[in-house]
This record gives sequence, structure tokens and C-alpha cells, in this order.
Amino acid sequence: MVAIPVPAARPTLIQRLDGAAIFYVFALPFAALTIVMGLWPIALSIQTSFTESFTALSPEPTFVGLENYREIFADPQFIRSINLTLLYTVLSVALNLTVALAYALFLNSPLLGRAAMIFKLCVFLPVITPDLAGYIVWKWMYNTDFGAINAGLNALGLPDFAGTSSQSTAMISLLIAELWYHVGFYVIIFLANLAMIDKSLIEAARMDATPPWRMFTRIILPQLRPAIMINSVYALIQFLKTFTVVVVITKGGPAGSTNFVSYHAYQMFDQAQYGKAAAMASTLFAGVMVLAFFVYWLNQRADWR
Amino acid sequence: MRPNPVVKAAMIALASFISLLFVFPYLWMIAASFRDTEAILTAPLRLWPESFSLKAYRDILVLSGEPLSTYLINSLLITGASTVFTVLTSLMGAYALTRAPHLPGFGLLRVGFLLVIMYPYMLLVLPVYLVMFQLGLLGTTIGIILFLSVGPIQFFLFEQFFKSIPREVIEAARMDNASEMKILMRIVAPMSMPVVMTVILITVLLNWAQWFPVLVISRSTDTYTLPVALLSLNSELGVNFQGIMALATLTTLPVIIVYLLTQRRVMEGMISGAVKG
Repeated sequence: MVAIPVPAARPTLIQRLDGAAIFYVFALPFAALTIVMGLWPIALSIQTSFTESFTALSPEPTFVGLENYREIFADPQFIRSINLTLLYTVLSVALNLTVALAYALFLNSPLLGRAAMIFKLCVFLPVITPDLAGYIVWKWMYNTDFGAINAGLNALGLPDFAGTSSQSTAMISLLIAELWYHVGFYVIIFLANLAMIDKSLIEAARMDATPPWRMFTRIILPQLRPAIMINSVYALIQFLKTFTVVVVITKGGPAGSTNFVSYHAYQMFDQAQYGKAAAMASTLFAGVMVLAFFVYWLNQRADWR
Repeated sequence: MRPNPVVKAAMIALASFISLLFVFPYLWMIAASFRDTEAILTAPLRLWPESFSLKAYRDILVLSGEPLSTYLINSLLITGASTVFTVLTSLMGAYALTRAPHLPGFGLLRVGFLLVIMYPYMLLVLPVYLVMFQLGLLGTTIGIILFLSVGPIQFFLFEQFFKSIPREVIEAARMDNASEMKILMRIVAPMSMPVVMTVILITVLLNWAQWFPVLVISRSTDTYTLPVALLSLNSELGVNFQGIMALATLTTLPVIIVYLLTQRRVMEGMISGAVKG
């Protein structure tokens, strides 16, 4: 008897698809969305920044080279909005991270026990609710007739807060509203990091009767490095793009005192100045990238002791 | 060292006060939606309404010529559909890119996606107007849904999860000649249920809150969602304060309820999304 060799079955279509092709099929919808709703608009935005505004929507836009960029940088309003954005970002990042760190350390105390979960819920609540609705409520709380802010201050015997009606306090008003909205996120990140801290080091330091401040700077802070990095990069990107709060509460005013770059670009867009708006967008994007990488690099190389 | 009860009570009191500051705007908003103007002017800080007047809610039943239900249905439809698309596309995309990261084009796709999510969102929306114009999707619900389907952190949450699946689990299945489809459906999918639930939840919360893309892609109020209707009511002249608070309450309350029911999952999901991204 001669054994008849069984021929290897030819792979079916499904089996052949099973190799690399199936992964392309899986990735296809994701790739399509990323390209059509992401990369294409970005490319279009960069292209538009080199074209004349009123031809931007036409099939054959007129290219004007760097003219839009030249114009926006010659515009004192745009320069002012850059300065305002930078000032606001620095203040916001510093304020949010300091408050978040202090409150996270406080909530981390074992003395609070199980109640800490409720306090965490409260501080995180604004982060997940619609920002627009939250800021609208703040806008009305700043109102000098209806508002809860001045009523509260007066009840404590304090003077009125001009809020969004005065140039000198408009930015502070936005800082507070945005602190309320965002700080919970940074608190939760710090708390997650605090939960992972090496307890034995703290115990050892306590044995040596290390003063609290020294304990904080030498033992706790260095171990919070991952959270500080995540939070600072996030906060930086977050506040450089500050937009919703401006649209809702101040509309860039009074007298342009809260006219940040993203809002300024939006106004240009609204006035069909597509070329200039796109040039501003590209400038802000470049700024966000450079600053985010700078902070990342700073955090990487900083000697934390 | 025994904890001092006085210190403990003081700390709880301080934490409660700070928590109240965070919750206050919501309580104030809900209270104001039921109170009349005179009452608010006399006692702006009061959080318990004198009487529960539903006038403000009746006043907003029709807004800018559309019934309130239109905005509610748009919100539900757009949030629901964009959540399904975001979760499915980023789930499959993340799976493919984690399992076969070296296939030609996949590296490029990952970099492209990173670039998109790093681009300031509000500035991405402006050129999307041009894209929608060219695709003929300006003013359509489909256009809004498709744009919202590009999620910022969903991909990373899935990628992180797939990377945590031990290689041996999948190798063992391959040894048994299981097809890729089978591996996905029989092995990976059941394991992914918790992360899928978390991502669905976060996506619903994020997309419910979206307003700017909806405003930019819309051509008239018939594609507006609740937040956009709220914004347009807020910018009308001769504002109806209680009506605004009533609409803000309707926009916020569903989210607060979902959050209170699922608190831990939302917080943990947000943290891991941030840590990875």
C-alpha cells in the first residue's frame, strides 16, 4: 500500500485575509476619520493661511505667500492678544497647579477617612459637566444685580467685586471660573500619584523628626514628578487655547482685555477673514507645540533635589 | 500618635466648605430656574426656592422658532451616534495598531492621529467648516456626527488596554490555529468589556458637552444641540435669566446623574487616558 500524500488545502479567501489584510480592514475606518476630519482640515488650514481670504473658499484660491502672517504680526491687536494669552496661561497654570497640589495633599490625609471620596466627587464634578453651561452660570453669578458673588462678599462685609464689567478684574474673573472648572482634573491626577508614593521613605523621615517643609520638598515633591509633568503639560495646552469661557463670559472685552488668540482668530473667521484666521491658528499651534515640548524637556532634565 | 478629634472635625469642616464652593454654582442654577426675579433680587444667595414655579421651563418650550424637543433629540442623536462611531473606530484602530504595529503605514497613521489631537481643537473646527463645505455636509447632522467621531483619548485608553493583554494569551490561540477574527471575538472582546464600558461613558459625557463644532457646522437652528441652544439663548437681547438657568439645568442634570451613578469608573478612565496621552 502506498500512502497517498494528502495535499495541503489551499488557504481559503478568509484565511488569506487573515494575515495582514484583516488589520488593514480594522484600521480603515479609524484611518479614514483621522484623515478626513483631522489631517485634511489641518492641511487646508495651513494652505488657507497662505491664500487671500475672499478666495479661500473658491476652487482656485489666490496664493499670497506670507502676506497673511506679515499682516497679523503688524496688527497691534494681535500682538496684544498674544501677550494677554501668555499672561493668562502663566497665571492659570501656576494657580491651578498650586491649588490642585495643596488640595490633593489635604484630601490625601488619612484623617478625612471615607468622606474623602465625597470631597473628590465634588471637586471633579465640574470637569465632566458641559463647560458652556457652567460658564453661563458663572457669568450670571458675576452679575452685579442678580449675582451670588457680590451678595456673598457683602454678606461677609467685603467690598464689591467688579467682575467682568471692569478691565482690571475681567481676567481674574475668567481665572476663577476656569479654576473652578479645571482644577478637579489636576487634583485627581495628583491624588493618583500620591497613592503610589513610597510610604516607607515618609516613615523613615518621620523617625528622624524631619521638619514638615523639608519632608515636603525632599521626599514628597520628588515623588510627585510624574503628576507634575502630566499636569503642567496638560494645563499649558489647556490654557493657551482658552476659548469657551471667553465666548460665554466676556466676548474678549471689556476693551479687549480678555481678547485671547483663539477668540481673536475666531472673530477673524466670523468676519470671513479666513486667511488671517488660519495664519493665527497656525501661529497658535506652533506656540502650543514649542511650549509643550519645552515644559516636557524642562521636566525631564530638571534635577529634583 | 492618635488622631486628634478636634483636628479631624476641623478638616472635615474645611473640606465640606470647599466642596460646597464647587457644587454651589449647580445648586444656584437649579434654584434660580424655579424662582421669580423679585425673589432673586432680594435674596441672591438663597438656594431653596420660595416656591417651585415652572414658568421658566414653560417659557423655553419653544426657542428660536424650534420646539425644545428638537434640541433634545439632536443632543441624544448626535451624542449617541458619535459615541458609537468613536468607540468602534478607535477600538478597531487601536487593536490593529497594537497587534500589528509594524505593518506599512501604521506608524504613519499613529503619528498623524497624534498630530490631529495635538492641534488646538477650537482651531481645528474652523478648517472643518471648509471641509464640510467641500463635502457638501455643511448644515447636516451627519457632518456633525462624523466630526465628533474623532475622539481625543479613546484611542489611547484602548491602546493601553490591548498592550496590557499578555502576549502568551494571543500566541496560545494562534497555536490552536484560531483565525484573527476568532481571536478578536472569542478572546479579546470578552476581556475588553470593562474598558469598553468606561470609554463609552467618557465619550457620552464629552460629546454631550460639545458645542463649538455643532455651532460651526450648523447652518440653522434645526441641527442645534442643547448646549448650542443654551448659548444662543444666552446671547439674545432682553435675556430671560430664569429661562437660561432652566435650560442650563436641563443640559447639565443628565450628566450629573450619569456621573453620580458611575463616579469611580469616570474618574479612573479620565486618569488613565491622561496618563497615557
